Amino acid sequence: MNTTPFNAWKLVSLSPLSPWALGALAVLLVAGVLLAAIGLRREPDLRRRMVLWALRIGAGIAAAFFLFEPGIRNLQVAHVKNRIAVLVDRSASMSFPAAPGGKSRVAEVADYLDSVSSQLAGLQDRFTIEYYGFDPELAPITPETLRSQPARGPRTDLLSALRSVKSGEQGSASKKLSGVLLFSDGADNAELSSGVVGKSRAVLSDLQVPVTTFVVGSAALKDLAIDQIRVDDFAFVRNSIAVEIEVRGRGFKGLNVPVVLRREGQTVASKSVRLNSDDDVQTVSFNISPDQTGRFVYTASVPVFPEEVVTENNTRSFALKVIRDRVRVLLVVGRPSWDERFLRGLLRQDANVDLVSFYILRTLSSDPQVLSDRELSLIPFPMEEIFDAKLDTFDVVIFQNFGYTDPSLSVASYEKNLERYVFNGGGFLMIGGDHAFGEGRSNFPILGQAMPVEPAGKPASVDAFKPRLTPEGLRHPVTSFSQGAASTEQAWASLPSLPGANLTRAKPGATTLLDHPFQTIDGKTAPVLALWEYGRGRAMALTVDSSWYWAFASSSAGSPSRLYDRFWGNAIRWLVRDPDLTTLTVTADPPSVEPGKPIGVIVAARTPDYQPAAEAEVRVDLFSVKAQRAVATQRTVTSADGMARVEFAPPEPGAYKVFAWANKGEKSLGEGEDSVAVRALGPELSDASIRADIMEEIARLTGARSHPLSMGSLPELHLLDPPMVEVGRSKDEPIWDRWYYLLTLVTLLGTEWLLRRRFGYI
Amino acid sequence: MVKRLFGRRAVLGALASLPWLARRAQAFGDSARFIPAVAQHGGRWDGRLSALRRLAWELQRRTSVEVVPDARPFTLSSPKLFEYPFLYLGGEADLPPLSASEIENLRRYLTFGGFMLADANDGSNGTGFDRGFRRELARVLPRNPLGPLPSSHVVFKTYFMLESAAGRLLNKPQLEACNLGRRAAVIYCQNDLAGAWSRDESGDYEFEVSPGGEQQRELAFRLGINICMYALCLDYKDDAVHLPLIMNKRR
Repeated sequence: MNTTPFNAWKLVSLSPLSPWALGALAVLLVAGVLLAAIGLRREPDLRRRMVLWALRIGAGIAAAFFLFEPGIRNLQVAHVKNRIAVLVDRSASMSFPAAPGGKSRVAEVADYLDSVSSQLAGLQDRFTIEYYGFDPELAPITPETLRSQPARGPRTDLLSALRSVKSGEQGSASKKLSGVLLFSDGADNAELSSGVVGKSRAVLSDLQVPVTTFVVGSAALKDLAIDQIRVDDFAFVRNSIAVEIEVRGRGFKGLNVPVVLRREGQTVASKSVRLNSDDDVQTVSFNISPDQTGRFVYTASVPVFPEEVVTENNTRSFALKVIRDRVRVLLVVGRPSWDERFLRGLLRQDANVDLVSFYILRTLSSDPQVLSDRELSLIPFPMEEIFDAKLDTFDVVIFQNFGYTDPSLSVASYEKNLERYVFNGGGFLMIGGDHAFGEGRSNFPILGQAMPVEPAGKPASVDAFKPRLTPEGLRHPVTSFSQGAASTEQAWASLPSLPGANLTRAKPGATTLLDHPFQTIDGKTAPVLALWEYGRGRAMALTVDSSWYWAFASSSAGSPSRLYDRFWGNAIRWLVRDPDLTTLTVTADPPSVEPGKPIGVIVAARTPDYQPAAEAEVRVDLFSVKAQRAVATQRTVTSADGMARVEFAPPEPGAYKVFAWANKGEKSLGEGEDSVAVRALGPELSDASIRADIMEEIARLTGARSHPLSMGSLPELHLLDPPMVEVGRSKDEPIWDRWYYLLTLVTLLGTEWLLRRRFGYI
Repeated sequence: MVKRLFGRRAVLGALASLPWLARRAQAFGDSARFIPAVAQHGGRWDGRLSALRRLAWELQRRTSVEVVPDARPFTLSSPKLFEYPFLYLGGEADLPPLSASEIENLRRYLTFGGFMLADANDGSNGTGFDRGFRRELARVLPRNPLGPLPSSHVVFKTYFMLESAAGRLLNKPQLEACNLGRRAAVIYCQNDLAGAWSRDESGDYEFEVSPGGEQQRELAFRLGINICMYALCLDYKDDAVHLPLIMNKRR
């Protein structure tokens, strides 16, 4: 039996009537009092009126007493301590000095908690005080652990921490949260990264817990940082793309900061920006025109100053995928011919090709028989414009039977430009004829370096022949028509004979896809179609001027052959490095890696007929752009779908290339590459700023206040009072069932009756 | 003012150079060179063979185009046609109906890239060759009827700046064309264009031009060269890079 005495009470109604019945009776009671008052409104004697009113009101109150049956409920209750959570930010930014040259921010919090420990202890008679660090997961801490275990959390998520502590996920859910003491630099990089706006305001209000915030750290730190880089995920090759770089400088008022943008170590642009205040953010815009398709790592950087608190945030990398838009083709034609006419017709009808063409319609020996050039529609050959000013705007340059020694038509002075154009990533195609490959006395000594063939010094062969597909041509995407080797051979064999070819010699390293069946040079068959990679570009040579036979002459038998279209489509796509034409695709996954995370690489291997290459052996090298060497190698085997994935352990920050090779048995399936940027810093360490505004808003929206850290002084805390909770028993004691209450009621009513009778109301 | 260009000396010089042209043509095969094919049909198809040789010669002389100064006759059903993307079809009287194989082969020839210059050698309009040609062309390309070729068409600026169609006669200042897509696959002239180019064995012009004299003959040559250039270069002169200069010359 519980013998603990009652320690609380409250007034209650013990009436068995339902609340609505009680309400109805109360209304009747009030009406009775009011009717009595109305009935006395003509009584001229004020004293009489007042007495009768007082008697009726008194009787009404007495009647209400019996109606509601009031009683005392004795209670046995006990106080339960609610909790106060001390939340300390343990993200990596809390390892920054709280003040220049001072302790870390988190150590500063530990010192503060020690200095106010006695004041916090004073709250412990009413509250349980719980200490948590969040990084961003909540974990118990003490001032000692704050000092001994450096803050390393990868991000700051203040809202998540507040939600966790409110829900009592740490096992204290049974206790109500009366308040939170939040210690942080406010540098949230999750929901509140843009400030306390939008939905986060409602979330804070709905917490219904006052959060007293303590701003840790000083804004006086010096730091220069690439805060943000805004750029699209992909760009079109040879098209301008804007890169916006946000430079934040603290403590560098008046400084001119050079901002440099590099692509895998090579400077592509630089600008200077002036910082106008001690905490200034300036945006620098670069317009870059990538000259090659693929994925590349770009790095933006600002100089490092000795007094900076963080130096790693002075560089920032991003990966940019460069894809092709419409292929921009420059077609330079030595003279009108059927070969040119059919190629032009094909390129003009291809919606993916933007064709710019220049034909030599008149040579020095031509005599158009006119009195004035106005009778002709000819324009000057704009050599300087196309071979100098605008050369880099083209994806592919085609010389079709072009090669003049006449000074007005010779491109000798632009050969170097053309050679560099190919070396730097352009595509170049030379098509044969009596002006090409040395036949026209123009040997292109400089441009020729970029070509996969060289003139053999022999006159062109005029014997009709069918080009022969080489083993390389059988599987190369330019000449393989993807229905398998047999059908590709059959397709080529079905094409008509060609009437002649320039005789050239394939250079070492060139790949011959088609060769001459009986014309030999130095004991080897003369190449008809050869190609190679030159620098970062690609070059191709077709030593005939009659590929139009594949389009037109082959139509004589019936339905048209589409091989001409497919051959040229493949050739152009190969020249522009169309990713779909590779048998091995390599993709960094993801293209930008956070520090400490592994680099994933996905390899998709296909056989020469573009079927998935199952069980192919794959080798992947991780190549450091900075060190210019492979820093790691992984080997694996593809699955049935031709896919394989490898992971490299987290390397040092910087730009990397991943190169992959695949083999199926003895056969090579090709090689591929991609780029990946390993960031120097996560979002946490890239910014040393103090976000006092966020801390103030959190406090304000939860009904508390924000404070700086002031050693030894615990400010007035906003806390919810701990509620009393009934833990024992209760007992009701009626106070209405006394005889004298009834006597009072009867006396009041009787006295009123008697007086009304005497005054003549009854 | 157009110069008088075609004296006997020039012609003899041209004839003397024919073997040289033929040798050059052999140097790399004929495939890339301009050689007009001539359609053999049931009517008088060979009345302008010398004209076509002469046109090829003029093309070589005036432009950078390499030619074989020859005109090679083929029946319209011949698969050899497909080695000669330029076809001349002329006649002086009603064009006899073409056979089904000729219709089919010619349709394929035009559809897959061939070009045909049709020329009413009799200058007819509604009768003679004109009537027969229109009838047969409607059989070859029933969905692509002949239509007038405006003077703004690229064929009038492919090499020479021209405004209208000349020929031995000036019956119609306008050419007509059959378009396949954006390409004029057939161009038809009712002014006996080749008649203005024809020479006899002695090197003299075979026909007088009427009514414009030698200037009209020169314009006929220029139109012939422009048509050849169109067959070879398509709409090259419609490229944006040429437009400002051409507009300026048109003023």
